[in-house]
Amino acid sequence: MAGKIAALASRLDQLYEFDREPVSLNKLQSGGKFAGLFAGEHVAATEFVIGAFFVLHGVTAKDLVFGLLFGNLLAVLSWTFVCAPIAVRTRLTLYWYLRKIAGPGLTVIYNIANAILYCILAGAMIAVSATAIGLVFKVETPSLSDVFPTSWGWVFITFALGAAFTAMAILGFEKLSKFAQVCSPWIFVVFLAGALAMLPKLGVHANFDNFWEVATTKVWNGIAAAGQDKLSFWHILFFAWFCNLAMHVGLSDLALFRYAKKWTYGLFSAFGMYPGHMLAWICSGIMVAAVGREMNPGLMAFEAAGFAGVAGVLLAGWTTANPTLYRAGLALQVITPNWPRWKITLAAGTLTTIISCFPIVFMKLLDYVAIYGLVLMPIGAIVFAEHWILPLLGIEQYRAEKYQWMINWRALAVWFGTLIICFFLPIHLYFRWLPGYLIALVAYVLLQAMKKNKN
Amino acid sequence: MQRILFGILSMVSLALCLVFSIAYFLGKIKADRFKSGFLFASIAWFIFATLWATRTKKLSKT
Repeated sequence: MAGKIAALASRLDQLYEFDREPVSLNKLQSGGKFAGLFAGEHVAATEFVIGAFFVLHGVTAKDLVFGLLFGNLLAVLSWTFVCAPIAVRTRLTLYWYLRKIAGPGLTVIYNIANAILYCILAGAMIAVSATAIGLVFKVETPSLSDVFPTSWGWVFITFALGAAFTAMAILGFEKLSKFAQVCSPWIFVVFLAGALAMLPKLGVHANFDNFWEVATTKVWNGIAAAGQDKLSFWHILFFAWFCNLAMHVGLSDLALFRYAKKWTYGLFSAFGMYPGHMLAWICSGIMVAAVGREMNPGLMAFEAAGFAGVAGVLLAGWTTANPTLYRAGLALQVITPNWPRWKITLAAGTLTTIISCFPIVFMKLLDYVAIYGLVLMPIGAIVFAEHWILPLLGIEQYRAEKYQWMINWRALAVWFGTLIICFFLPIHLYFRWLPGYLIALVAYVLLQAMKKNKN
Repeated sequence: MQRILFGILSMVSLALCLVFSIAYFLGKIKADRFKSGFLFASIAWFIFATLWATRTKKLSKT
C-alpha cells in the first residue's frame, strides 16, 4: 500500500515539476494583471443560476444587497489576509507547500478529491449550457425538484454538449483559453444588457423612479418558491463569502498570488467579486423574475437578449467548463499511469458528461458550492496553522518534509475529523465551514503540540 | 496601428451592445430591433476583439 502511494506521489511530482521552485522576482506580475484575471474569471455560467436561485429562495432586496456587499468584502479580505500573505512569503503553489506539511501521500488524496469536485462543477456548467440548446430544440428543462434526467432529449443534449466540450478541450485547450479571454467582457455585458432589457417587462419606468418598489415586490419579494428554503441576510453573506472558499481560505490561489509583488494584491480580487458575484447575480435575479421565476438560464437569456443571449449562456458554460475539465484531468493524472494528456481529458470529460445529465447538479448548485468549499477548507486551516501558528508556539514546522513522511497522519485525521464534525453540526449547511475551520485550526495545532511534548 | 484600430472597434462594438439595451429600456426602439442590434454588435465584438487579441499576441512575441 505504502509502495503504491509512493509511486503515485512520485508521478504527481513529475507532473508539477515545472513549478517546484519558488517564483523568481523577475516573474512577478503587476496589479493590473491580477485585476484583469479576477474580472475575467468570475463571470461564469453558474452566475446565471446562482443569482436566480436567490430569487427562488425568497431573499428580500435589502438582505441581498447588504449580504452581497459584506459577503464579497469578507471574500476579498480572505484573499488579502489569509491567502496572499502566505503566497508572497513562500512563492509556492498549494501542491508543493502542502507536500512539505502533509506529505506526498496526502497531496495524492487531495488531488483526487479536487478532481472529482472539478468534474461535478464542470457538469453543472454543461447542464446550464444545455438549457440554451434545449430551448432551440424545444426540450423541456428539468424542474427544481428533479434529481434524475427527465427526458431522453435532455440526456442527448447534455451528452452531445459534454462530448463537444471534451473534444474541444482535447484538441486545443490553450487556444480555447485565449478565446475565453475574448468572451468574458462580452458575457458580462450579456448580464447587464439582459437585465436592463427585462426591466420594462417588470414595470420599471424609464426614469428608474419605481425601481426599488419593483425590486422589493416583483423580484426579491421575500417569497420562496415551493420546496425552496427561505434564505436571509446571513445566508447571502455567508454564500458570497464561501463561494470561492477553496480558493481563498482553502489556499488554492497560492498558485496565483505567488506571482504577486505584495500581499495587498489580494485586494484586486474585488474586481472579480463585485462585478461577477454581485452585479451579475443581481442581473440574473432580474431575468428569472421576468420569466415567471422559471429556473431556465437558456430561456432567461433568450427572453432578455434573443439569440445573442442564448449564445451567451452557451459560451459562458463552454469557456468555464473548459479550464475546469483541464484542471480535473491534471488532477486525475495521478491515478492514470502513463496515460497521454488526451486520454485523461477524455476520462474526465466522460465522467463530467455523465454527471451533467443529472439535473440535481445545477438545481442544487448552491448546496454543491457550499459542499465544495467545505470539503477542501480543512486543508487551508492546516496550512495556515503550520505557516503562522506553529512557529509562534515554537513547534517544529514541515516535519513531513524533514522526516520524509509519506503521510502526515495528524493532518489527515484533522481533515476527515473536521468533515465528520461539520456533517453533524446542527446549523445550516452554509454556516458550517466557519466553526469547521476553527476546529481544524485548533485540532491541528494541538496534535502537533502533543507530538512536540512527546519528543 | 492596426492593433489600435481593432482595439477601438472592439470597444465600440461592446459599447453598442449596451447602447441597444439602454435604447430599448428607454422605449426608443422595439424589442426586435434591440435583439438584432445586440446580435450584430456581439458578432462585431467577436471579430474585432479576436483580431485585436491576435495582434497583441504577435506584438508581445516580437
